Amino acid sequence: MKTGILASGLMLAAGLTTPAFADKLDDIISANVLRCAVVLDFPPMGSRDSNNEPIGFDVDYCNDLAAALGVQAEIVETTFPERIPALMSGRVDVAVASTSDTLERAKTVGFSIPYYAFENAVVANQNVEMTDWEGMRGKTVGATAGTYEAIWLEEKVAEWGEGQFRPYQNQADVFLALSQGQLDATVSTVEVAEANVASGNFPGIRIVDKAPMVPDYVALITLREEYGLINYMNLFINQQVRTGRYAELYEKWIGEGEPADLTIPGVYR
Amino acid sequence: MMFFDTALTTNDLIFLARGAGMTLVVTAISVFFGTIMGIAFGILRHQIGPWWAAPLTLVLDIFRSIPLLIQLVLANAFVTTVLGWRISGFTVACAVLSLYTSAYCAEIVRGGIEAVPPTLRRAARSLGLTWRQDMTSVTLPLAARIALPSWIGLALGVMKDSALVYVVQVVELLKSAQILITRLQEPLFLLLICGLFYFLISFPIARLGGYLERKWSND
Repeated sequence: MKTGILASGLMLAAGLTTPAFADKLDDIISANVLRCAVVLDFPPMGSRDSNNEPIGFDVDYCNDLAAALGVQAEIVETTFPERIPALMSGRVDVAVASTSDTLERAKTVGFSIPYYAFENAVVANQNVEMTDWEGMRGKTVGATAGTYEAIWLEEKVAEWGEGQFRPYQNQADVFLALSQGQLDATVSTVEVAEANVASGNFPGIRIVDKAPMVPDYVALITLREEYGLINYMNLFINQQVRTGRYAELYEKWIGEGEPADLTIPGVYR
Repeated sequence: MMFFDTALTTNDLIFLARGAGMTLVVTAISVFFGTIMGIAFGILRHQIGPWWAAPLTLVLDIFRSIPLLIQLVLANAFVTTVLGWRISGFTVACAVLSLYTSAYCAEIVRGGIEAVPPTLRRAARSLGLTWRQDMTSVTLPLAARIALPSWIGLALGVMKDSALVYVVQVVELLKSAQILITRLQEPLFLLLICGLFYFLISFPIARLGGYLERKWSND
């Protein structure tokens, strides 16, 4: 009798003190499915295989996140401009879609810590002696006109006061010129560089070094107010790096070499 | 393929055929339920008069005047975020498309019923037929003949409008074609095949309409 009273008292107290509140993290777990927005025309991060099934770094990352939560993953294909609307209109729970963590976007959506960073690589002709990025000094370099890499290279050439910069119309032209020896070196994203070396379409090129440019950090996104889920995603990204899964996915989708450092020296978060 | 080089494989054709199957299923469900609801709404609107039917007319007008794409996105957002239900995009697509079809169908049914001469209906009633008998034996058979061509047009229209259900994650024919275009970079060829699939689905429906029209006009 006494325990009965005590139990009902406890139940009453519990009912009074804990308001029924389920956030997105609870919703995902109770629905047993995690819906991820992934961009599928952006290899190697997202694309489709010959059976038209989604594949890529982002697809695997979503599957890993779902596995960590103990739920099923559902890949929802979106375009780049559709990512945030899909999130806001409730079509997806999170976007694993190589989203750059800009402050402007952070006004609308909540970012996790970076889960990947797009770095730039120095690619050179095999006949040119070069051991690191500074080896480009005095050489003939080129890139696609108007791009971030081209602006950076042009500035470097001007700073060194020697060598030559050549702008090209598109990236294929740059790699063709490099392969034919008209260019000594170029700078492109690591992903493009690895893909072009692996494709065999441009014989005689090699990746020398990473270029010391600020990487394009990309993060997972969800609704701005979902702190529970953002907190979970932050820990998840940390675990991915800690367990070596990040390096494993990098090797699987991008290539040999060191994946980008996801920490920024000299600052928290 | 036979005449020129393409990266399209049998696998991809099966993928397209599955998309076509999805288009057919969504269309069949929407036209079926849309027609049943449309007949009910159409008769109701005719029977209770414009004044009492005003609220229903307003709702149907909303479904007819807001673009289907917007209806799908809003309905999906309402169901998943406001109501918090986890229902599939397929269900949302079928529900929205059914209501959309019913709004058009109600107009077709009402037009058909109104085209039956009132004198004929009065004659039927004065012969002692009940309202139900008048409806089933006189008015609806005549109205169906008048409404059939518009209804076939509506069914074909809904089939093509069903291409918009990709916004709620339903991979139908056009979306399948777009997925292949992204992967294979052969837009014209793939769209040609996609158009052929649409034709293969539409043509029998159009022919069935023509057949029924001829058959019904002879008796």
